[in-house]
Amino acid sequence: MIRVEQLSFSVGDFRLRNFSLEVARGRYFVMLGPPGSGKTLFLECLCGLRRAWAGRIFIDGRDVTTLEPRARGIGYVPQDYALFPHLSVKRNIGFALRSGRHSSEDISAKVATIAEMLGISHLLRRNVTGLSGGEKQRTALARALVMEPKVLLLDEPVCALDEETRQSVCALLHRVQRDLELTVIHVSHNLEEAFSVADSAAILNQGVLQQVGALDDLLRKPDNEFVAHFMRCENIFSSAAGLKLAGSHRGKIKMMIRPEDVVVLRAGEHDSKNENEFGVRLVRWRDYGGYVKVELSGRLNLVAHLTHAAFARLKAESGSELIAVLPPENIHAFGV
Amino acid sequence: MATTSNSPWRGWRDIIFIAGAFFFVAVFVVFVLLLIIADAFYIDKNAVLTVLNSNFIRHALWMSIWTSFATTFIALLFAVPIGYSLSRYRFPGRILVDTVVDLPIVFPPLVAGLTLLVFFAQTSLGRWIQDDLGLEFVFQRKGIILCQFLVSASFAIRSAKTAFDDVDRRFENVALTLGCTRWASFRRVSLPLALNGIIAGCILTWARAFGLFGPLLIFVGSFRGRTEVLSTTIFLEQSVGNIEVALAVAMLMILVAVIALTTIHLVGGKTQVHPSGW
Repeated sequence: MIRVEQLSFSVGDFRLRNFSLEVARGRYFVMLGPPGSGKTLFLECLCGLRRAWAGRIFIDGRDVTTLEPRARGIGYVPQDYALFPHLSVKRNIGFALRSGRHSSEDISAKVATIAEMLGISHLLRRNVTGLSGGEKQRTALARALVMEPKVLLLDEPVCALDEETRQSVCALLHRVQRDLELTVIHVSHNLEEAFSVADSAAILNQGVLQQVGALDDLLRKPDNEFVAHFMRCENIFSSAAGLKLAGSHRGKIKMMIRPEDVVVLRAGEHDSKNENEFGVRLVRWRDYGGYVKVELSGRLNLVAHLTHAAFARLKAESGSELIAVLPPENIHAFGV
Repeated sequence: MATTSNSPWRGWRDIIFIAGAFFFVAVFVVFVLLLIIADAFYIDKNAVLTVLNSNFIRHALWMSIWTSFATTFIALLFAVPIGYSLSRYRFPGRILVDTVVDLPIVFPPLVAGLTLLVFFAQTSLGRWIQDDLGLEFVFQRKGIILCQFLVSASFAIRSAKTAFDDVDRRFENVALTLGCTRWASFRRVSLPLALNGIIAGCILTWARAFGLFGPLLIFVGSFRGRTEVLSTTIFLEQSVGNIEVALAVAMLMILVAVIALTTIHLVGGKTQVHPSGW
C-alpha cells in the first residue's frame, strides 16, 4: 500500500500542496491531469528523485520519506523510457541486477524470464536505439520489473505510441499488474488510457488534488467544474438554468449532465411532457465513428452524444427543431 | 563520393550540395598534405641520419612523448570532476569558475610561461613550494608537465563539461531508482555516455601539450639532455642554421602525432554498445 500524507514540495514557482493519497495494495491507480499539473513531479517525489519539504510517504507501512531511491523498492518507468543508449536490451534489463550481488548466470536467467513474460526475448541482443516505441516501452518495463518491486510507477507510459500499440501495451500493463500483484501508479493525461487500465483514479491540477475515486464517480459525479471539464463534460450550468434535480442541494451550486445522458427527440414525436424538457435547434453535428456529437441551442446550449441509430431516427439537419430532455436523475450538482 | 548502403535517392541538386561540402574538405586536406610534402622534400639524408643518431634528439623525443601523455592523464583527472560539477551543479560563483577554467585557452603562450616563472620565483607561496616542500619546477622536468598542464588542461575540462551537458540527467535518475548509488550512476551511465567527448578533449589536450614551445622556453629553458623537448629542439636547430635538421625533427613530431592521434581515434571511436554477454 502507498500512503502519502500532507506532502508538499516546490520546484521554481510550481508547488505541490498538502498532497494526501492512499492507494491500496495490488491496485492499479491512474493519476490524471493536464500537462504541467505536477503529475511527473509527484512520481519523482514518490521514488525519491525529489525531496519533499513537508509530509511523509509510506510504502507497505514503512516510512520511506528520507530514503534514497534505491532503498524504496519502487520500479520506475519514466516518460520516453530513458533506456541507456550505450547498452544492449539485455544489459538494460539486467542493469539493476548488476548493482547487487547476482552471478552472471542468475542475471541471465532473470532477464530471460522477464523478457519472455513481456514478449521481447528476440530483442535481447539488439541495440536499444533501433527499437520501435512499443519495444522500447516493453524493455523499460522489463528493466523496472526485474528488481521485483512491490510498487511500479509509470510516467505517461504509452503517450508516444500509436493507437494500436497503445491498446496492446495497456492490456499488457494490466495483465502484468494482475499477475505480479503489483501496486501501480500510472500518470497520464489520456482518459481512454485510464479507462483501459485503472481500478481507481485521481485528477490533479496545478499541484492540487481535485478528486480521488472510481473512474465512474469522476465521470458522473465530479466534485468541481475542473473535474467535469477534464472528464469532457461540456454541459455545465449555473443554478439559474432552472433545472429540476433528483435530490435537494443547499448553497451555491452548478449542475452538469453527461452528453451521452441527454435525450434528443423529434418535435411532436411524444405526447407527455417530461421534466427538464425544452425546445432546441440543431446547430451542427459530427460523426466521431462510435457516436454522433450533436450541438444544440435553445434555452440552454447543449452537447449530446447520440448513437448512429438514435441520430438517424431524428432525421435532422442543421437548423432542425428538436426537443431536448435532461432527466433529473442524470443531473449532478456540485458546490461552487 | 561518400554513400551508405541505405542512402536516399539523390538528385543533381543534392550532388552539387555534397560536392560543395567536399570541395572544402579537399582544399584543407590537400593544403596540409602539401605543406608536409614540401618539408619532406627539403630534408636530405644527412639531416635524417643526424636526427636518428643524436642522443639528445632521442632524449627530446622521449621527453616530448612521456610529458605530453603524463599531462593528458593529469588533465583528465581534473577534467572529469570539474566538467561534471560545472555541468550538473549550480553554485555561487559558477560563472566566475567557468570563466577561470577557460582563461588559459586565451592566454598568449608566453604569458603562461612568464606567469609561472613569476609565481614560483617571486611569490612567497611559490618559493615555499619550491624550497620548503622540495617541489622544484623552474628549469626542471616537472616544470614541463606543469607548464603543459596549465596551457592545455582547459581543453579537456571544456570538452568534458560539454560532453556531460549532452548526457540527459534522466539517465542518471533512472539509474538511481535501479539500485545505483550516485557514484555508481556516474560510473555506469554518465561517464560511458560522455566518453567520446572526454576522449575528444584528451586529443586536444595532448596535441596542445605535445607541440608546446613558448612557455617551456621561458619556464624550464631548453637544456640539452634535461629539459629539451622536440619543439624546443626545432627552435635550437633552426637558430644555429640547421634548417634541414629542424625540419627533420618537425617531420618526426608529425609522425608521432599521426601515430598517436590515429591510435586514440581507433581506441576511442570503438562502439560503446555491448551487444551481448555481460
